[in-house]
Amino acid sequence: MSGHRLLAVTFPRVLAAEWSKLTSVSSTLWIALGTVVSTLSLAFALGLFVRAGDAVSGASVAVSGSLFAQLGMLVLGVLVGAGEFSTGTSTVTFAAVPRRLPVLAAQTLVTVAVALPTAVVCLVGSALVTTAARSAAGLTLDPADAGTVRILAGYVLYLTGVALFGVGLGALVRRPTGALLAGVVLFVVLDQLLATNPGRITDVLRAALPAAGTRLFADEGALPTHLGAGGGGLVLGAWVVAALAAAAYRLRRFDVT
Amino acid sequence: MTTLTVTGPSLPRVIAAEWTKLLGLRSSTIVVVVTAAVSGLVTYLSANASSGDPGFDPLDSLTTGLPVAVIGPLVLGVLVGTGEFSTGMFRSTFAAVPRRLPVLVAQVVVTTALALLAAVLAVAAAVVGILPPASSRGITPDLLSEGTPQSLLGAGGFLVGAALFGLAAGALLRRTLPALLATIVVTLVLPVVLLLASELASDPLAASASNTVPTRTAVVNTIITFTPTGAGSLLTEPSSSGVDGAPNIGALGAALVLAAWVFVPLGAAALRLRRRDLV
Repeated sequence: MSGHRLLAVTFPRVLAAEWSKLTSVSSTLWIALGTVVSTLSLAFALGLFVRAGDAVSGASVAVSGSLFAQLGMLVLGVLVGAGEFSTGTSTVTFAAVPRRLPVLAAQTLVTVAVALPTAVVCLVGSALVTTAARSAAGLTLDPADAGTVRILAGYVLYLTGVALFGVGLGALVRRPTGALLAGVVLFVVLDQLLATNPGRITDVLRAALPAAGTRLFADEGALPTHLGAGGGGLVLGAWVVAALAAAAYRLRRFDVT
Repeated sequence: MTTLTVTGPSLPRVIAAEWTKLLGLRSSTIVVVVTAAVSGLVTYLSANASSGDPGFDPLDSLTTGLPVAVIGPLVLGVLVGTGEFSTGMFRSTFAAVPRRLPVLVAQVVVTTALALLAAVLAVAAAVVGILPPASSRGITPDLLSEGTPQSLLGAGGFLVGAALFGLAAGALLRRTLPALLATIVVTLVLPVVLLLASELASDPLAASASNTVPTRTAVVNTIITFTPTGAGSLLTEPSSSGVDGAPNIGALGAALVLAAWVFVPLGAAALRLRRRDLV
């Protein structure tokens, strides 16, 4: 008689399962590639418009592809958080891990493992494709300068944060399209709408939106006085924690349909 | 002996079927209601914020809700175009209508009808939205004043165009997430990118020195004119003479640009539907 050895559901095993799920669908690779290509193209195209004497730093030229990069990160996170619910794999996943929360924790970690390298590739690639534009405008990218390091690190941090917010939003809404739409409204549409109507109230509202995280990689001169780079990062962090906590609450207390 | 008469799928019947499918979904009603509500609310907030200005004209705020309200029709169109392909329902649909193209035509018809309803409600809500700020300043907005009827018409046309653009992209790509992402990038993210580029391109010193528009600005503004959102803003501002350096295509030209954004992907979708396998 052959014995059936049952393996306990440990966190490393859940993590390994989530990792193989993420890396075995081809969409992950395509999203990462698409993010890098669109980000580099945008950074290159915007670099063409930079001239000597413009009030921008070399680092901000290198991170100018962020508008497309954040969309790619959002899609990546949303698909990790919500993808299983639309295909029906979630039933199997939560039958295997009845405590549920380890799955969300593992999804958060594997998303960081993909988002962080992708963000670094976006950064390095953007810096390389904007080299000509920067030297033509006489802008330098000095890795020893504290302000430059803050912008470059802030860019990677912001993009990783957006991906994590996507995981929380996806796991909370459980529908990829709904989560993506909500993410775009929060990150792009509302921020842009408020930016076109500057005023005391709209400035405060803007600072409270997750898009305040873009201040992590904004030029020193472009930062508003009331909420700086660190504050903007904290606002984004709060949104990430809130989305993940709400998703965890729904996962723990309600049905997984 | 009785004979069984089998009635073929005529276009009116296909349209009736698509109409039933569209209205059978709760999301269709939700999209229409949310679009109108968002349009009214954003217009009200924007008009209210500027009602303290000395030269406040409530009619200037009429189209401020458009960039947000457009999301509703866009999603509606994408869902009509891709919905069946994600649920598997398309198998029954195309088994019933083997010529396939009548289905796409019917989807265009029902999407236009529902988007028109959403557009009329959204524009009406925007008009209602400017009334409280206007009355707080003792102004009675004159909706028949020069340019305003065209502006309202343009706003409605832009919303219907966005729904059809969503439908065309959805029918072409057949998958909800990629189609939604593509239409969002084109209608919502591209304008922000171009705004960024035009800020970089504008040179305040050079502009005051001469009357000629710098080449960079002209390039960016030409691209803006030919995006759906740029064409939409030309539609809602019939009196404007275009943006600096870009060809002045007028309201009719803007409508044609919007139509091209609908009919080029729609043509490609029809070709794919006719020539290629259904997934």
